[in-house]
Amino acid sequence: MPPSSCAICSSRALIVRPKNHQKLCKSCFLSIFEEEIHHTITTNTLFQYGERVAIGASGGKDSTVLASVLKTLNERHDYGVDFVLLSIDEGIKGYRDDSLETVKRNAVQYGMELCIVGYDELYGWTMDQVVEQVGKKGNCTYCGVFRRQALDRGAAKLGINHVVTGHNADDIAETVLMNLLRGDLPRLSRTTHIITSSPSSPIKRSKPLKYAYEKEIVLYAHHKKLDYFSTECIYSPEAFRGSARALIKNLERVRPSAILDVVRSGEDMAKLVPEEVSAIQRCAGKNEAIQEGGGEEGFGGCGSGGGRSSGGEMIDMERRLNENEAAREREIDIAPANITSKDTPPIQKITVRQQGARTPRKLPRQHMGQCIRCGYLSSQEICKACMLLDGLNKNRPKTKIEVSLEDGEGSSALKG
Amino acid sequence: MHCQQKCPNEDGRDCFVRYVNTKVIKRMENFRIRNSTIGNPRLFLLPLSFGVSSVALLHLLDSQLQGQIDRMNRTGYGLLVVHVNMPSTAPTGIYMKRLQQRYPRHTHFHVDLAELFDYPNGILESSGKSGLSQALGAPDGQVSNQDKLDHLLDSLPSATSRADMLGILRTRLLVEIAKKRGCEGIMWGDSTTRLAEKTLAETAKGRGFSLPWQISDGASPHSLVFRYPLRDLLKKELVTYASLTTPPLDPIIIPEQTPQALTSKNTTIDDLVTNYFQSVEESFPSIVANVVRTSGKLSAHQPFGGGERCTICEMPITAGSGGLHGWGGDQGKLGPSSSDPHPVEKLCYGCARSTLGATFSARTASQG
Repeated sequence: MPPSSCAICSSRALIVRPKNHQKLCKSCFLSIFEEEIHHTITTNTLFQYGERVAIGASGGKDSTVLASVLKTLNERHDYGVDFVLLSIDEGIKGYRDDSLETVKRNAVQYGMELCIVGYDELYGWTMDQVVEQVGKKGNCTYCGVFRRQALDRGAAKLGINHVVTGHNADDIAETVLMNLLRGDLPRLSRTTHIITSSPSSPIKRSKPLKYAYEKEIVLYAHHKKLDYFSTECIYSPEAFRGSARALIKNLERVRPSAILDVVRSGEDMAKLVPEEVSAIQRCAGKNEAIQEGGGEEGFGGCGSGGGRSSGGEMIDMERRLNENEAAREREIDIAPANITSKDTPPIQKITVRQQGARTPRKLPRQHMGQCIRCGYLSSQEICKACMLLDGLNKNRPKTKIEVSLEDGEGSSALKG
Repeated sequence: MHCQQKCPNEDGRDCFVRYVNTKVIKRMENFRIRNSTIGNPRLFLLPLSFGVSSVALLHLLDSQLQGQIDRMNRTGYGLLVVHVNMPSTAPTGIYMKRLQQRYPRHTHFHVDLAELFDYPNGILESSGKSGLSQALGAPDGQVSNQDKLDHLLDSLPSATSRADMLGILRTRLLVEIAKKRGCEGIMWGDSTTRLAEKTLAETAKGRGFSLPWQISDGASPHSLVFRYPLRDLLKKELVTYASLTTPPLDPIIIPEQTPQALTSKNTTIDDLVTNYFQSVEESFPSIVANVVRTSGKLSAHQPFGGGERCTICEMPITAGSGGLHGWGGDQGKLGPSSSDPHPVEKLCYGCARSTLGATFSARTASQG
């Protein structure tokens, strides 16, 4: 077979674009990848001239590529943006400590200021300690809630009100499927927006890589010879995400456009989420979602487990749904009582509401206030992070104890 | 067995049959006799694939009707049972015969999918000159219906696209038949599992926008009522049910083909998702049901009145959102854009995706 030529410049093609199987030469691939992100940035007016923007940097491929591309485009197209690297130190030995070294090198390579905020200093707990306490199951919840606040606090510390993250098209597609599987329409709606912000939080998030394929990000990093850290988080991802991730990879294999198509479906479905369910208001900017919950965005941000999963969350959810179903069967056919209790898990609200199928009830509006403990934006008296911390601290031994042998798998992993 | 109560019957069989019956009767409450007028029964089309779900649906509805006759000597509605011969299906003659013998109360007939070309007023010219046939590039003139269909399928770029289009064509043919025969609507045999599959598969094919119209009971954009009486029953429950009826339903069910390896070139998105839910249904049946409940909450904002429709699938398109272009993920103008031979505004995103790269000029190409 004769060597194929590049679809753009007709020199020898070396790359088959994962997204559409277009054959390209190396330099055309790099430039089309960059220009597509430029296109996403300009059509959504992500940046203002003179703005200072923090890049959520983990040292992984996504955020490293994001930082590199943003630096390139900022110079090429004169965005006039001052980019700063913002890293979170979750305190995971053998993972985050190494990846932070990468970020430190990146900061030098790209000539960007770097700020690192640690879970340790913010919450008094590292993720290793959290896992030691709660086990590997469900630790991603802690990490997710903590990270969201940590990014906000880090940004505030830098006097910055805009954080960009490295979420790519695969992440979004995965989240769309995951939220369908666990029945979370509000989050489905929220995560498909390219810009998200909270009404009384000055810090907005955006995802310039929203339409970029993970495989192309890897290719870009490879051909640009970027310095990134490729080990995945040592704690396993949520089962739902793992399950959705495996499906997304298979879909991509069958039809490469499927990832983009799921993202498109997600965007369209977000418009179909009834307001009383979505708990978000659509606001002026068409691509912007206002988020009332202040909770985590639905991305673990670390869910790169390649489909391995404990299944714990799915088992829990199955059990919960079964209990709801049983309760419903016992119910007499009358309108359900108002569920306003604060500690009712959201999924229960949804299933119970289904009883009155065709007559949507208005959910009580959330009022945003500040957490009485830490002052962070919250719809409850105490914010999610402080609630989680309460649980953690309750069980924390008063005196420091060295890792004991009876302590279960978490600790033995730490020792090893 | 799924019996949770204490069964008088040791194997729980009666209890399970009653459970299945109740789930369906609940969904069929609007079809009691008191809602019908004497002498003018409501008529519904029941598409039957000879798969376990649609056969179970027919059996369940037939039992409901028998009950009505026993009590009142008349029925609340009538059924028209139709089987569509798909290009890939084996001959169904013997099954048709058994069906007629077992359920003589209803009219049974079968049609070839290619007959959709016989509905000139319905499908071909539904949108003026750019009707379905033209959008799909079917040749006209002195070609047999089967040739037209074959040509059309051959021109599609992938197995996924073909499966996608076959499903759409089948729905459209059934809609035309229902209209022609004076049916009020269609009774679909989709189980909970099937509806969950549809939710994820349609999402994966870029058809998320059309979910409110594809899985909910009620008016459909095809100006007919769509009903899913089996929506509260899992596929595996229906499989059990089919073996518990007297006599069992097996003789009229065509056994499912063992699914091909999911690595084959002919694997489709539908195959993948079906396979996926097979395993989820095993361990997490409530999650399957929850997917359907969740997608059922998506609501169409605007009624499908005068708005624009996709020429192929007839789903309403929000102004300006047709075709593959003109949204955030479209960066097509940057590279050499792939050929999009259709007037973009006439196709929905999903149909534009499935027909992208279709060799619609195959007829001329093969001559040259």
